[in-house]
Amino acid sequence: MIRELSFIDVLYLIAATRWTLALTAIAFLGGGIVGLTVALLRVSSFLPLRWLGAIYVHAVQGTPLLAWLFVFFFGLSIFGFTVSPWLAAAAAYSIYAGAFLGEIWRGCLQAIPRTQWEAGASLGLGFTQQLRYIIVPQALRLAIPPTVGFLVQLIKNTSLAAVIGFIELTREGQLTTATTFRPFTVYLIVAAIYFALCFPLTQWSRRLERRLHVAR
Amino acid sequence: MTYSFQFRDVFAAWEFMLEGLVLTLELSLVTMAVGLVIGLAGAAARVYGATWLKRTVAVYVETIRNTPLIVQLFLIFFGLPSAGLKFDAGTAAMIALSINLGAYSIEIIRAGLEAIPRSQIEAGQSLGLTPVQIYRYVIIFPALKMMFPALSSQFVLLMLATSVVSQISAQDLFHMASIIQSRTFRDFEVYIVVAAAYLVLALLFRLAFACIYHLVFARR
Amino acid sequence: MSLVELKNVVKRYGTNTVLNGVSLNVEKGEIIAIIGRSGSGKSTMLRCVNGLEPIQGGTVAFDGTVVNDPGTDLRKLRQHVGIVFQSFNLFPHLSVEKNITLAPKVVKNVPQAEAHALAEAVLRKVGLAEKIGAYPDQLSGGQQQRVAIARSLAMQPQLMLFDEITSALDPELVGEVLKVLEEVAREGMTMMLVTHEIGFARKVANRVVFMHEGKIWEEGAAAETLGRPRTPELETFLSAVLH
Repeated sequence: MIRELSFIDVLYLIAATRWTLALTAIAFLGGGIVGLTVALLRVSSFLPLRWLGAIYVHAVQGTPLLAWLFVFFFGLSIFGFTVSPWLAAAAAYSIYAGAFLGEIWRGCLQAIPRTQWEAGASLGLGFTQQLRYIIVPQALRLAIPPTVGFLVQLIKNTSLAAVIGFIELTREGQLTTATTFRPFTVYLIVAAIYFALCFPLTQWSRRLERRLHVAR
Repeated sequence: MTYSFQFRDVFAAWEFMLEGLVLTLELSLVTMAVGLVIGLAGAAARVYGATWLKRTVAVYVETIRNTPLIVQLFLIFFGLPSAGLKFDAGTAAMIALSINLGAYSIEIIRAGLEAIPRSQIEAGQSLGLTPVQIYRYVIIFPALKMMFPALSSQFVLLMLATSVVSQISAQDLFHMASIIQSRTFRDFEVYIVVAAAYLVLALLFRLAFACIYHLVFARR
Repeated sequence: MSLVELKNVVKRYGTNTVLNGVSLNVEKGEIIAIIGRSGSGKSTMLRCVNGLEPIQGGTVAFDGTVVNDPGTDLRKLRQHVGIVFQSFNLFPHLSVEKNITLAPKVVKNVPQAEAHALAEAVLRKVGLAEKIGAYPDQLSGGQQQRVAIARSLAMQPQLMLFDEITSALDPELVGEVLKVLEEVAREGMTMMLVTHEIGFARKVANRVVFMHEGKIWEEGAAAETLGRPRTPELETFLSAVLH
């Protein structure tokens, strides 16, 4: 039964955005923990640990996000769990974001010149202490613009969760299209909402980047 | 509950995977070519063009980069028919992916163009070259050489992103996964194998790009 | 009609007036050395001659054509005016030969064989015939600058502009470049050089122009102007440069 596209539908779409944001937050949290681990692994002085980090990053960056979503959603159910879209999405996005955030943060850690490490070592600080008091505070400042930039990627990528039935903005768009048969208008509105979420963040990331270069 | 992994059934369906692989490769290569052309033209427009042209390209780039690929794909495949433009899945996929990659390529190449010193352009002007000749002979090569790593990374990301066309039933490698799954009921194995296939593809593409760099840009 | 005619040229960068009513005539075959402090406007004046700098007042004319007229085809004009820059500006991704043959081939449609012969001839003139296949990053500063001169000569211009071409070179490499300049002068090329090499100016130039605060402060025959400065500014400048 076809319904007319009404303002209520638009409100439903906007309301669905909160799940997009929720998933982004969880992905960022999970991915952040994984990413931090990966970054630290990759800068450690222990070769096998570096390899572990590198293998993880290359494996995840060389596979489509959709594959991870499907592995967790369809694949894990064979082990006897009932995997909800939430769990599958949270796991898949954490793994995915972890690899990319890990690379970004590793780059920031490595951008701190060797001489800073040496200064810390000459003062008698150990590896962890150098990291904690000297390197990470400086790397943090460098990391903010690209991390904000990646946040934009995350928000856009949550749209893929729709294919495993996760209710967020894109899924809501599919459902609305199914009942109103106005795909062009609906997806245009969906795109506009994503734009409203992402564009300000993109601009902010650029401003942060500029300020960083001025400060240096 | 015990479960025995049966990869053998998945591997037996290799013909399906090959078929999907063909479309994935087709989509990737065509999109990369078109995306590169859009990137070169759009970046030139953004850096050297008139203000109205700069603004138009900026609107295109920002719109694409701040909206998800899958929504762009749905708009073209599901949405355009109501405006009279109907495409089959393969064509819609090519259009959406090209438009998407084009926007990212414009930004990457733009960074390369802006890094070319003004003095190079002045030298070209002083020799009497036209703006197009300066772009073609003096600017493009050094700019592409500088941005090659970023550009090739973006291209590999695109190849992985082609998996999204499975959602409009284009018969790409990822779509084949669900076909195989429906025949063998090996959910876990299927997607692991397909993920591995993409990984191999990604590595091969990276290798190919490294070779291209060596042949084209690294002289001695 | 002089080959180059500047009449009351005024140029501003924002609120800063770089050229404040500059008038100068250059005849065919003349060699003009332009000297002065940094900021005196000498490079700017040079760059006005081939239209690299737009002006806000006065006229610049080359061989009868008004350079600062918006209707002028600068591209055509620049085929007759060669310029060599302080930072050489060779194209790093092209070999020496390709650097030299690019403009003749794409601007004047010279066929490949002829262009190659032209490149060989012009490289011989600057003493670098054997470097025809090399790339800029394989050459020293002096060699790169000589290639830059060869590149401009290959277009067979009527006028050559030199913008402090030895200033960025290590001292021991300056001599080889000056030798090339003398050779080019000997062949009758009209040349305008912005330079700090006072000795060279005295030896090779017909006229010397001393610029100060955007104006031509003194002008005259080379030996006379440099040997007997009439203004305190030129005197101070010369004693600072020739310490």
